[in-house]
Amino acid sequence: MSLSEHTTCSSLPADPVAADALIGIPRQQTNPSRWQGEQWAEFVRSLREQGIEIREARADTGIYVTDAGGLAYGMPHGVVLARSTEQIAALMKAAQMFAVPVTVRGGGLTTEGESVAFGGILLDMTGMSRVLHVDREALIVRTQAGIFWHLLAEVLRRDGLDYISAPLNLSSSVGGTLGVGGIDVNSSKYGCSADQAISLQVVTPTGEIVECSDDENSELFERIILGYGQFGIITEASLHIRPYTPLRMHYFYYAALKPCVEDLLMLDASQACDYTGILTMMDSAITLLVAFDSDEREAEFMAQVKPKLRGYGELMFALHLAVSFSWRPWKWKEALFLLRRKRELFPDLQPAQHMQDGRMLDRTVVFSRAVWKHWGDRHMVIPDLATSRDKFVQAVERGNAVCRKYFPYYTLYCVGIRLRDDHRAHYELSSIPADAEGWAYGCEFEPMYNGVEYSRDRLQSFKNEIYDVGVELETSYYRFGGMMKGYIRRALGDAVVEKHLQLKRQADPAMILNRDVIF
Amino acid sequence: MRSVDVVIVGASLAAAAAAKRLVDAGLETVIVEKQQLPRHKICSGILSPRGHRFLLENFGPLPRKVLHDPTACRGVTFHFPSMVSMSMDFFGGTTPHLHRKYADHWAIEQSGAEVMDDTSFLAQTQFEDHVVVTARKRGGEAFELKARYLIGADGPVSPVLRSLYPDYHKQIPMFFVGQKFHEIIDCPLDEEYFHFWFHPDLGHYTWSHARDGRQIVGVGYKIGDKFHDRHLHVAKYFEEKHGVRLKPADDDHEGCAENFGPSLINRYVFGKGRVLITGQATGFLNMIGEGMSCALHSGAIAGESVVDAMLRNRPVQEVYRQNIASEVRRTTDQWNPLQIAFARPHEADFPKALAALPMGDRIKVLRDIWSFLKLYKEFKWGRQIAAISMQRLLRGDYSQKNWM
Repeated sequence: MSLSEHTTCSSLPADPVAADALIGIPRQQTNPSRWQGEQWAEFVRSLREQGIEIREARADTGIYVTDAGGLAYGMPHGVVLARSTEQIAALMKAAQMFAVPVTVRGGGLTTEGESVAFGGILLDMTGMSRVLHVDREALIVRTQAGIFWHLLAEVLRRDGLDYISAPLNLSSSVGGTLGVGGIDVNSSKYGCSADQAISLQVVTPTGEIVECSDDENSELFERIILGYGQFGIITEASLHIRPYTPLRMHYFYYAALKPCVEDLLMLDASQACDYTGILTMMDSAITLLVAFDSDEREAEFMAQVKPKLRGYGELMFALHLAVSFSWRPWKWKEALFLLRRKRELFPDLQPAQHMQDGRMLDRTVVFSRAVWKHWGDRHMVIPDLATSRDKFVQAVERGNAVCRKYFPYYTLYCVGIRLRDDHRAHYELSSIPADAEGWAYGCEFEPMYNGVEYSRDRLQSFKNEIYDVGVELETSYYRFGGMMKGYIRRALGDAVVEKHLQLKRQADPAMILNRDVIF
Repeated sequence: MRSVDVVIVGASLAAAAAAKRLVDAGLETVIVEKQQLPRHKICSGILSPRGHRFLLENFGPLPRKVLHDPTACRGVTFHFPSMVSMSMDFFGGTTPHLHRKYADHWAIEQSGAEVMDDTSFLAQTQFEDHVVVTARKRGGEAFELKARYLIGADGPVSPVLRSLYPDYHKQIPMFFVGQKFHEIIDCPLDEEYFHFWFHPDLGHYTWSHARDGRQIVGVGYKIGDKFHDRHLHVAKYFEEKHGVRLKPADDDHEGCAENFGPSLINRYVFGKGRVLITGQATGFLNMIGEGMSCALHSGAIAGESVVDAMLRNRPVQEVYRQNIASEVRRTTDQWNPLQIAFARPHEADFPKALAALPMGDRIKVLRDIWSFLKLYKEFKWGRQIAAISMQRLLRGDYSQKNWM
């Protein structure tokens, strides 16, 4: 199907006015208008009568003005700090009655304004961040959902345990991640982070408190997991955990994207590694990262799979780069950047205090800090593409071309996501591409600012262009919440969106919970 | 004296975009507009795809009343004295034909900012941490507003800009653009396109397109000539050469002054201290004279720069000039011959359309463009354009030294 056919048949509702005249760029409003505050005073009075604290001072609301992406701005009318499931249930009942929008925020790590409140209530979930129970025998943890994975890891480590998979950064929350998916370098083995959820306590948009899992209220469970916060607020979660293992890491270096991506696909299919991923400096230094939970797995890989890889070791790659830059002397700035990056980054990826006998003792701490320190910035701009195996090389190469056009320095981060057949229903509204079999593949495209400031307008143009590649390839987007409202119909098609819109209307009659994220 | 966060002068698309950014970030924003809203605005109304996308993403779906008929435009057709015509479709499809009176008002309303219309900006005085803006409601007394920042989004002859640089408009060539509306007897020009003539005898900027059942005949030239004579000359040419048969022009003709030039030579004005200039007042203009998309984007950048400056306690001019660099690159690239030849800076593919012509026509077109460009010789831009093109090639960017 050609692009034009695609955009016409699975696209947005016909423009209310110029029906066919404006087929040009079928976009939706992604930067919504502010809710005007109808019935706000009555709503606040009702909540205060129930003893629920609402902070309305500008100093309290102002700190939530934007998210990690820093592109969308919006001010809530008031902020509620989550204290208990009952408090949230009361809040939702009142919000439903007075039709006040509620935007839920964990670590605020969204990139498209999903955790920014364009008026109404901002519910800050970080107030509920205690680990409730660790079952060492059954390997299950019960935790409040406002906790950051980083803190959860710290608590589990005391018992020699670890979570299974989570985004590597310092402030993504358990609830937020379960709502959107989450990826880690072991996602090619364990699936997305949301797949480790066993059961959840959820406050529905109408204020009911419901426990749900694959066996109990399974339909709600399907909607909540990877549901972009549309069908309820996760207050507690029971998660699979595992015994803690140090990592045996290896890096292979490539000078071109295609062989590296192909090797990644081959590695995942062989299931020879416990952790795989690609991290690049532009398209000139491409690193394939592999790691193992046990010496046996490592030895097996070294003997059987390593010889098939086309990457270089560090020394050979350095030589290769030196030769390549000597042919292209006008690229001296890029060469210097790579050198500096290597000098600054490598020690932080193998800090002495976290290494023992060549093994990394705490990947959560090491990677999260390194990501924050070396990739963090005022604007976390990470548009991505999620595809089936077949389209992945093309998606990476085309996205890379867009990065080249916009920024002198950037990073690509690619991982595979193992799909669980029994969780197909979970993936329906998510951005796991419908044509993905076995694995979906995600690539994030992230500028490295290197001290240069870009306007929000420029960064938004960059993201739009990456997302446009996705539309052309008929694939979708996989990130914290990186599915722009404007793209969902074209990514998932009208049928899926309409189905979920109907379900949303039933579950949330006043359409107040996390508005403007998808619907 | 009332105290607000930001005052914006002008109620155009640039103002709406700036206001949207400011209001989103919770800043109290007042728009001061000299006419009563909705107000009439002279414009071809043909928006570029980038501007279309911006409108949809920031203000929502376009209501019918903000569009003229035909509601959309597919692209541009260039006509040359050698009678070769060349059509180019916009990348990504058609774009709206905006009715500026209602489109601007709609965007302003969507922004959520407070509007004081029928109110003229008179003067501004800057202090260390605020600006005092003097304005007057029609028929009323002058009054003052205290603001942390002032944004001038008030068009080519910007009074705000004049309050900063009283001689500025004398230093740059100003043009007159005017359009007359004709009932159509017979018009072979495709109504899905915006038509532009590269013809030195017709004037610096000559165009035509359909609107609400009539045909627009538009002329642009250096201020000093007579609109009526120019227009008659062009209309006669259309009839003789293109068979465009029109009734005499209706009475509702219109015209305005344009500051064409700063985009070509990277000489923009972004303001001083706590006063920012944005939109067409800065000098932003795309190649076919479309200024709306630049206005939307530069307006948004002015707005976000004020937000950044306030949240991060930084000098607003420094933030604005860093942020606006991308828009400068994008706009000035459109006039940069090296970029045009090798980098596709426009929102339609000129080199491809040219390549599609037979070889003989291609040579005619290039020769015609060259003789058209000679019309601009008197402004002595050639050497400056060559210099900034080299600058762009060597350092990847345009210098900020020429900006005011």
